[in-house]
Amino acid sequence: MAEKKEKTKIDSSAEIADKLTNLGEAMIKEINANQSPSFETRLRGRGNVIYDEAIGCLRLGEKNETRTFVNVGQAKKFMQTVAVANKCKKFLKEGAHTSIRGLFYQLKFSLGEDLDEELFSEQSESNPLIEDLEVTLDVKREDLNLNTDRKGVVAGPMTLKDKFGGGEVEIDCTKQGRSGWMIPSDVDNGMEFKSVDADYVLVVEKDAIWQRLNEERYWEKENCILITPKGQASRGCRRLIRRLANKKLPIITFCDCDAWGWYIYWAIKTGSMNLAYLANDISTPEARFVGVTMSDIKKYDFLEKLTIKAKDIDVKRAQEMLDYPWISRHKDWTRELKMVLDTKKKIEQDALQGPRLSFVGEYLREKIGKKEFLS
Amino acid sequence: MADKKSEKKTPVKSAPASAQKTLADVPEILEKNAPSAKEAKAAKEDAKSIPAASQKTLSEVPEMKEMSAAAAAKKEPVHADRIFQKFQEHSVAEFFKKNRQMLGFSGKTRSLTTIVHEYVCNSLDACEEAGILPDITIEIRELSEEHYSVKSIDNGPGIPKKHIGKALGMMLAGTKFNRYCQQRGQQGIGATGVTMFAQLTTGKPIHFKTGTGKGQIYTGELSIDVRSNNPLITNDIEFSGEFRGLEVEAEFAEVKYDKSSYGVSEYLKRTALANPHAQITFIAPDAESVTFQRSVMEVPKKPQEVLPHPLGIQTGDLVEFAHHSDQRKITSFLQAAFTRVSPAKIDELRLLVGVDLDKNPQEMTWPEAEELVKAFQKVKWISPATDSIIPIGKAQIEASLKNILEPEFFAVTERKPKLYRGGIPFVVEAAIAYGGGSGKRIGDGVQGDIVRYANRAPLLFDAGGCGITEAVKSIEWRRYDMKNFDEMPVTIFVNFVSVYVPYTGAGKQAISNEEDVVIEIKNAVMEVARLAQRYIHGVFRNKDKATRRQAIMRYVTQLAKDLPELAEEGKSKQLEEKLIKLIEEKYQVDDALDEEENGTSDDKGNEKDDDEGKEEKEEE
Repeated sequence: MAEKKEKTKIDSSAEIADKLTNLGEAMIKEINANQSPSFETRLRGRGNVIYDEAIGCLRLGEKNETRTFVNVGQAKKFMQTVAVANKCKKFLKEGAHTSIRGLFYQLKFSLGEDLDEELFSEQSESNPLIEDLEVTLDVKREDLNLNTDRKGVVAGPMTLKDKFGGGEVEIDCTKQGRSGWMIPSDVDNGMEFKSVDADYVLVVEKDAIWQRLNEERYWEKENCILITPKGQASRGCRRLIRRLANKKLPIITFCDCDAWGWYIYWAIKTGSMNLAYLANDISTPEARFVGVTMSDIKKYDFLEKLTIKAKDIDVKRAQEMLDYPWISRHKDWTRELKMVLDTKKKIEQDALQGPRLSFVGEYLREKIGKKEFLS
Repeated sequence: MADKKSEKKTPVKSAPASAQKTLADVPEILEKNAPSAKEAKAAKEDAKSIPAASQKTLSEVPEMKEMSAAAAAKKEPVHADRIFQKFQEHSVAEFFKKNRQMLGFSGKTRSLTTIVHEYVCNSLDACEEAGILPDITIEIRELSEEHYSVKSIDNGPGIPKKHIGKALGMMLAGTKFNRYCQQRGQQGIGATGVTMFAQLTTGKPIHFKTGTGKGQIYTGELSIDVRSNNPLITNDIEFSGEFRGLEVEAEFAEVKYDKSSYGVSEYLKRTALANPHAQITFIAPDAESVTFQRSVMEVPKKPQEVLPHPLGIQTGDLVEFAHHSDQRKITSFLQAAFTRVSPAKIDELRLLVGVDLDKNPQEMTWPEAEELVKAFQKVKWISPATDSIIPIGKAQIEASLKNILEPEFFAVTERKPKLYRGGIPFVVEAAIAYGGGSGKRIGDGVQGDIVRYANRAPLLFDAGGCGITEAVKSIEWRRYDMKNFDEMPVTIFVNFVSVYVPYTGAGKQAISNEEDVVIEIKNAVMEVARLAQRYIHGVFRNKDKATRRQAIMRYVTQLAKDLPELAEEGKSKQLEEKLIKLIEEKYQVDDALDEEENGTSDDKGNEKDDDEGKEEKEEE
């Protein structure tokens, strides 16, 4: 399954609609055979998340689960899942997109006059069923015309074709000014790279640093694609990074020197537990970490004065990360994390502006030039 | 352990009181005065010369308490004259008043229940002795607040004219000897106590009517001359008629009728349950009448009278027996008055006690008796014969459960006699009834009910301290699908049958929680619980299945609406019909639970489904 996902070819909405149709057909077949309609899905619980060493990312294990209608514990969810599937199929046919909240409102109605019950009464009921469908059909929610909130900004030598709402526009990421190009929820359907002429991709945790580098036209000087996920990377942002990595561009990440910043890096690199079902569709094991590192504090003595005390949550997170086998297997990272535990210090990427505003760029240029990366 | 302790405090309590003829309190008096055998002797002589003297002895018990305590401390015997003086000063009435509690006349509801209990027990005993199937009617009318009249009519042998006074108006002592047999629990001093209570609370005599069926009917009014303790019969007439039996009517104040589980109706219901050969009619103050029909046509076997066994004796009884013995030596007294006491056992006893076993039994002191009773527990005795135990019987209990509770399901044990205190035989009869009239009704709700009996006499009070309750509560009801035992229509029936019932107190309303007894009761109840579990499991599963089916049915319409759109094939209506059929097949309710055994494959399917349900829950 994981290998299968290495594809770059994107199913057309018609193909995805067919998947939904097939799901329904199989259920009707079962009913006609006097069996309870059912479908298979993969368990998404933490118990079924594994780290796949071969591809270097978190993915779901092989634990499957059959959902069936004629079972008290499952009947309602089953009926709801089919309702979600049917609704998404309509969106695909109409070529219209909505959010998962929009979907929820489309399905929030009474089950009947004599039943004091709604199909859905909380969005928290519909959200996990969308994930069920994603896993069952091996698609992403974006493929089902369900948008997520946009987050993340890009600038750099890259042009894209965006077919959307019946029109088509070309986006040149060198011409997005101070705001940059905002990464959409879905970077697959109706999105095509026209040209990517960069040497590498630089992912910068914080928007503030991105703005600093954009002002410097760092992406132009270094011929790179400059991305900020603005904190934890969204699905769309992670997917974009994956697609750029597919174009053999090195992915270099620049985060705060604290557990949170590092976790942002690891989520991009190996994926996260919650999205393990998307596995290598959104993870980029090739990514490397340029800074800020604990070793930098020693190397650049002015940084010593700019450190701040690590909070309990930072220390706790560092400990957790040490416990993740896919992180602790990297000796350089173990060393870094232990340093956090020992010194109880952290440093923000913004601190690199301490000596002068342009120092951030100088720092990056030097480290990237020397390929001083953490794995 | 527990019994030994309590033995000292209340010698009366586990003495198998014999019907109304026995004064349960005699041993107590003797106990108090035990230090002096002479006095007891003197008292006994008094009793001989003055017929009513023995009751007088009773009358001073409460007063004697301080005195005897002091006397005992000083080890100085109280002189008989002083005791006699006390007799004069304190009447039977006084005695009754001071011992009301012990006699079952504590609390307004309980007093009324005790009254009915005494009459019903007398009637049942009399019928049993005469081989008559009892037909008993109890009628209670409310005269004013806390003032009632109680009428009891039976079809027993009746009481001959010359005995009626004794039976209803005289407290007799001494007939207990050699009347060791399995008897209905006896709360106090029988019908005489009831007469006393009527007299004390209303000042009125009781009415009686008796006939032996031979054409003569004798009626009159009866009261007790509290000074002489003699029955006083007035307004009596004799006439011809066909009546056979005894009718007693009396008025009582300071009593209250209610429908609680301590009340008369519950008492009669339970009595009827344990006495399926009796027909009992109750006419309540609200004029509602209920008849518990006879369900078996056999008069129970009369319990055999047996000699007491050393293990079943308590200090008070021993003193009493010894003082009434004609034997010259304690050794011969023990061999004559008890079963299983052989010369060899006497030799064993000699080594265990410092008591001079060759002295006259009439000189036995309380401490000596105490020492002997303790020694009895150390000797290995041959167990008493078990043939003196007469249970109600499995078929009989089944018949009465069916008849009175009309349960959906019931099961009754039939168990072998067991021993407690190392040698006293007893039998536990346990039954369980589910559904129908089983359980305790509280408003609209139902509660699990434990109905306790000792020798088929209902134990209504002191449930908390009873070994039966303890045994039932200690069962893990969850294992029998009765986790919510307290909220289920379940009746647990336990009858403790033995010549020696280890009551916890003088009120004789609870069985002591001796380990052997509690274990046997628990085992007996678990035996019937296992049988009930099969049935109850089925009931729950059906109920459960119906709920499950309903839960799934809710979603059929919506699913049948979405599926054809999603699949672009099929029709909603047909799909809906098929889905309904599917669900109905899977959650089929067994109409007849009895057929369950045939449907094992179906069972498995359902169990699997249950498991799935659990997994799902855990996961969530």
